[in-house]
Amino acid sequence: MNASCSRRRWLGLLSGGLGWLAALPVARAAKTAVKNLFTSAGAPKDYDPTKHHWLMCIDVDRCIGCGTCVEACKAENRVPGASSYFRTWVERYLIRKPRAGMTELRGEVTVDSPNGGRNGFPPTLVPREEILKGFFVPKLCNLCAHSPCSQACPVGATFDTPDGVVLVDPEYCIGCGFCIQACPYGCRFMHPETHTAEKCTLCYHRITRGLQPACVEVCPTQSRIFGDMKNLPEKAPLREFIRTNRVFTLKPHLGTEPRVLYANIDKEVR
Amino acid sequence: MNRSPLPPQLIRLVLLTVLIIVTYGIARVVLTPLTFGQYGHYRGAALQEAAARKPVYAGAKACDECHDDTLALVAKDRHKGIACESCHGPNRPHVRNPDIVPIKLTDQHCLRCHLSDPARPVHLRQIQPQDHFPGDKCVECHVAHQPNKSK
Repeated sequence: MNASCSRRRWLGLLSGGLGWLAALPVARAAKTAVKNLFTSAGAPKDYDPTKHHWLMCIDVDRCIGCGTCVEACKAENRVPGASSYFRTWVERYLIRKPRAGMTELRGEVTVDSPNGGRNGFPPTLVPREEILKGFFVPKLCNLCAHSPCSQACPVGATFDTPDGVVLVDPEYCIGCGFCIQACPYGCRFMHPETHTAEKCTLCYHRITRGLQPACVEVCPTQSRIFGDMKNLPEKAPLREFIRTNRVFTLKPHLGTEPRVLYANIDKEVR
Repeated sequence: MNRSPLPPQLIRLVLLTVLIIVTYGIARVVLTPLTFGQYGHYRGAALQEAAARKPVYAGAKACDECHDDTLALVAKDRHKGIACESCHGPNRPHVRNPDIVPIKLTDQHCLRCHLSDPARPVHLRQIQPQDHFPGDKCVECHVAHQPNKSK
């Protein structure tokens, strides 16, 4: 084998390789187009995530603890029925009167959420005459701007979308459960069948179609206020809510910067 | 024959380096999903996949297409603002095929909201079923769509 022959062979190999490289993007584009035809056939075509920013607010004073939102969420998102899987749930807070001799203005706090409040709330065991005040607090993913769940994910399966939702990519999720431990609000769970992390998506399949999330849709007292911050009409309920209420976030000291705003919560609410 | 300006071991090294870089480039192009980086450091197609599911709750607009008279009645009374599907349940199948009847409502549906509870606000009408006409059904006296009217 002489040198010139070897050089010709090398050049041939090199040009062939370059040809393949040029053909790759074309092949990949074709493959993705075919795949898209099957996977996202049901997705709304005219929805651009960069042109929306969704916001959920909770008016605690209005919640009557009927649990219709929990029921609706389970039906809409096919959340497993067992009492440990929730994308949203309702907690009942009962604050007792201070016992004789106590210097505080309020006594012990009893919090319960039987089956997430899904079937409503059974009568409480705390005697009525001992109760100072009571209220219900609906909970859901706080949609943190600095979400600990997405920071904890080792494979980058959890992310912040341009329209203000924190989503899980089930194709990337390896089911390690770190995000479930990392969430300070307890909003995530491991799906028993897919073995991937699941959480509130703000009913992403509904909001992209111009519908409201299922919990907002069915709330009989408009305790949940939902809107698009980038396309907010002048008389939107969301504007009125922010204008007329003092709003708070849950666990602000953690620096997670939740986007879900709560009006009129007591200091006992965590 | 040894006229090459570079020593052969160096040529081999350069070729190996180029090969490694090219292999890395090919692997990167092949393995990275096409929509990765569309909006951020994740697969952009994941958004479409999350949006692809079909809604279960039809929404009030769908109810209004056939039951506009009932919606108008409700809008005039104290139950205004409550979506149909709050009580009647998810009804997308019923919207697509009216022969599929929604679930039958019982007293339990009324009590979800109107059962007396110390955590409920006082302005909400609440009852204790054992004290408030026990044994009678709610709809024997009350009209759910017009709570101010009684039978």
